[in-house]
Amino acid sequence: MSFDQNAFLIILTGSLIAISCGLLGVFMMLRKMAMTGDAISHAVLPGIVIGFFVAGSQRGLEVIIGAGILGIIATLIIDWLRKKARVQLDASIGITFTLLFAIGIILINLFAYNVDLDQECVLYGEIAYLPIDLWVTGSGTILGPRITYLAVLNFTLVAGFIYFFFKELTLTSFDESFGSVMGIPSKGINLALMSMVSYTTVSSFEAVGAILVVALLVVPPATAFLWTKNLMPLIKLTTILGIGISILGYYLAYLFDSSIAGMMVTVAGVLFLLSALIKGRSSKSAGTSMANI
Amino acid sequence: MIIQAESPVLEIHDMTVSYDQSPVLWNIDFTLPSGQLIGILGPNGAGKSTLIKAIMGLVNPTGGYVKVFDKPLEEVRSRISYVPQRESVDWNFPASVLDVVMMGTYGKLGLFKRPGKREKEVALASLDQVGMSAFINRQISELSGGQQQRVFIARALAQDADLYLMDEPFAGVDIATEAAIFELLKKMALEGKTVVVVHHDIYSAMTYFDWMIMLNLHLVASGPKNQVVTEELLRKTYGGKLNLLSKVSELVRKQDFNPLEH
Repeated sequence: MSFDQNAFLIILTGSLIAISCGLLGVFMMLRKMAMTGDAISHAVLPGIVIGFFVAGSQRGLEVIIGAGILGIIATLIIDWLRKKARVQLDASIGITFTLLFAIGIILINLFAYNVDLDQECVLYGEIAYLPIDLWVTGSGTILGPRITYLAVLNFTLVAGFIYFFFKELTLTSFDESFGSVMGIPSKGINLALMSMVSYTTVSSFEAVGAILVVALLVVPPATAFLWTKNLMPLIKLTTILGIGISILGYYLAYLFDSSIAGMMVTVAGVLFLLSALIKGRSSKSAGTSMANI
Repeated sequence: MIIQAESPVLEIHDMTVSYDQSPVLWNIDFTLPSGQLIGILGPNGAGKSTLIKAIMGLVNPTGGYVKVFDKPLEEVRSRISYVPQRESVDWNFPASVLDVVMMGTYGKLGLFKRPGKREKEVALASLDQVGMSAFINRQISELSGGQQQRVFIARALAQDADLYLMDEPFAGVDIATEAAIFELLKKMALEGKTVVVVHHDIYSAMTYFDWMIMLNLHLVASGPKNQVVTEELLRKTYGGKLNLLSKVSELVRKQDFNPLEH
């Protein structure tokens, strides 16, 4: 097979998105907040719509800022419901994101019926259109696919965030109150992580959609956690899984003439199930060997 | 009976803590001396954990204030260390024993700085003090309860603080380990550190602590062990559980040490 530039760009972009989501997902999982990631990815919808109005297009920085703010608001509402109103965590997540998502849909229906924005685009996305959605400068120079640039920027910011705040993220994920006592700003770190998740969701929704972003946040870290109980290998394995999922997802989608993002997540799910079966069996045999001793 | 300490490391003034409008600690007012091993005693639900959480600012008092080293809490955070209850974290977290103990050094490192050789040495020395040197690369999920507890104490030691607050560090720990840890705490107190321990067992508390805080929503007593552990104050702390109290008196008689006569 000769070098296919479109395939390369799609796989590169898919990998970058999968890695960005996976890196954040590792810490979301360790904080038992995987479903908060789900909530954020849906709750950003009203922010996208409002940003869309301010900017006049879905390409603007305002859209990302709007989504970021809504992501943080969603986190704060969930936290408030849980701590102050004493609602259980799963219930407060369910209430918050469905409410915010519904507000987003109403906003779209009320104001945006004649513009290029609908909930389908936010929910599903389509990475296959990437090669024809080019970034053209004011003077007419074509710089390449716009979404790839977004993914590179997103990946750089996520990787930088995790690199610079690695010890704070680790400590507050393991034992938040110990961190607070010694003066680590646990709440700030938490909000920063939620903001990164919101931003990543918005940056990725055109390519893979909000639903599939959730899968990329949750599934690769959960799969990697079945194989290793050390943080650095866990992060590396999540990254490798992100790349592998993109490559396999692309070629299987090509083979079956199907959605690339859908195939990526299917591959991720199958890899997870296989890992769970293998590790489940080996831990069972380890259990019996322990019993024999 | 509340006996005030001279040049105290910790001063709590008229503090009230409430959850959902109902106070769980009322008008707590005491001072603690430095370089002592201090026990917080009281029945279940007396507010022992809440008291140390309020000292560290993990729960906000609805009234009163806390001063540590004669300063507001925010200015002296790096000098305070916390040993939380073992059950407060998920031990399936992907980390080794050394990783967890290294966390004790993070507070002094500051933002953007990574732990290096010096931090590793501090962590190894702390693990040596609690007798866990053989387990540095062990996954924390594979530790027994007593070992987990010792890892938490090593993490606090790595912080090199001046005031240590420990929440039930002896829950689920065998007697040999308990004695070894108490030896370590005594040594720390001799070096001038102040160690405050929430403790549920009155019997061992009698032998180990220098200073006692007796709590039951209100502060019942705070002072040197010999002066505050009296039958009347024990009764006030634990209510009418006479059976328990007679057991204590019996034990005290056996050990030829009777604080009730002082």
